[in-house]
Amino acid sequence: MTEAERAAFEGRISDLGDRLNKIKAQRQADAEADLNAEMRGRGMAYGMRMAAELVAAVMVGSGIGYGLDRWLGSTPWLFLLFFVLGFVAGVVNVVRSYERIQKDIAAKTGGKLGPTVPDDED
Amino acid sequence: MPDPIHQFELHPIVPIKIFGWDVSFTNSSLFMVASVVLITAFFMVSMRSRSLVPGRMQSMAEVTHEFVAGMLRDSTGSAGMKYFPFVFTIFMFVFTCNMVGMIPGFFTVTSHIIVTAALAALVFLTVIIVGFAKHGIRFLKLFVPEGVPIAILPLVVLIEVISFLSRPVSHSVRLFANMLAGHITLKVFGGFVVMLLGAGTFAALSPLPLLMAIALTALEVLVAFLQAYVFAMLTCMYLNDALHPGH
Repeated sequence: MTEAERAAFEGRISDLGDRLNKIKAQRQADAEADLNAEMRGRGMAYGMRMAAELVAAVMVGSGIGYGLDRWLGSTPWLFLLFFVLGFVAGVVNVVRSYERIQKDIAAKTGGKLGPTVPDDED
Repeated sequence: MPDPIHQFELHPIVPIKIFGWDVSFTNSSLFMVASVVLITAFFMVSMRSRSLVPGRMQSMAEVTHEFVAGMLRDSTGSAGMKYFPFVFTIFMFVFTCNMVGMIPGFFTVTSHIIVTAALAALVFLTVIIVGFAKHGIRFLKLFVPEGVPIAILPLVVLIEVISFLSRPVSHSVRLFANMLAGHITLKVFGGFVVMLLGAGTFAALSPLPLLMAIALTALEVLVAFLQAYVFAMLTCMYLNDALHPGH
């Protein structure tokens, strides 16, 4: 192999290396964008889940209170009591599902939920 | 403007009355049957060859199976695998109904709360029956967390009971609300395109809501899958409570 041939060969190799690196970087960026989009969708699902947990418990609590009031004729005291109890149960639900979601996210992404965005505190 | 609620209307296809009850076969029933037929056909076709090295269709069926099996095993351990057919059926039904609803002009079964409430009630009753059958009266330990002082125990038990009773409500409302809201939003943005096209020079703006509608469609497909996943996931978690109360 002559000197010129060797130089041309090495040029081709490094050219190929550059191209491979570029494709790899592109792939990585695509994968990250996909993950971010998925996490955004998941974030919305999680948010809806929290809201539903809280509202459902308040509704069930108030419903029980209202029913008991109708039955015992103690309007509105049991309704008020069970409204508050329902709210407490709702908060308990939210905290529990938060703990579960946290575990879920940690298992999926190592605790990373989307890109970091600078805010006023930074 | 096109009415965004119109898509959720029920029409009887075959009117049936039994003892004064209206049990007509509606468009909702039709799409439920269609979903079940679709699921059955998919598995019949994909598992026909039953080869050791799966083909394209067979891989899809196997991936679905593994997905649900993994979800159930993660939350209930191997004791819960007995209920795999139940969870798998629920997941496939909700998922297929959601996806069929994404096809323009088709009816979304899961956007009616009566459907999701029936599914949630089924899960709720299964949990109670399985819990009492497996653990008898000890199932009630679910409502008595450990290490609570006796003075506030009645209050805590009351809260736990309300929390337990709220499960079928949040379980059904979440799926129904997501599907309903998503389809209304899509329809509203679609309606904007039509309105702008008929608004003289403002027709130049009509691609904007169209782009939004396209982006929303992509999001809705994701939501359709995620909500089916969440519905099945919660079913697994509730089953876990029935199998291992007091954890």
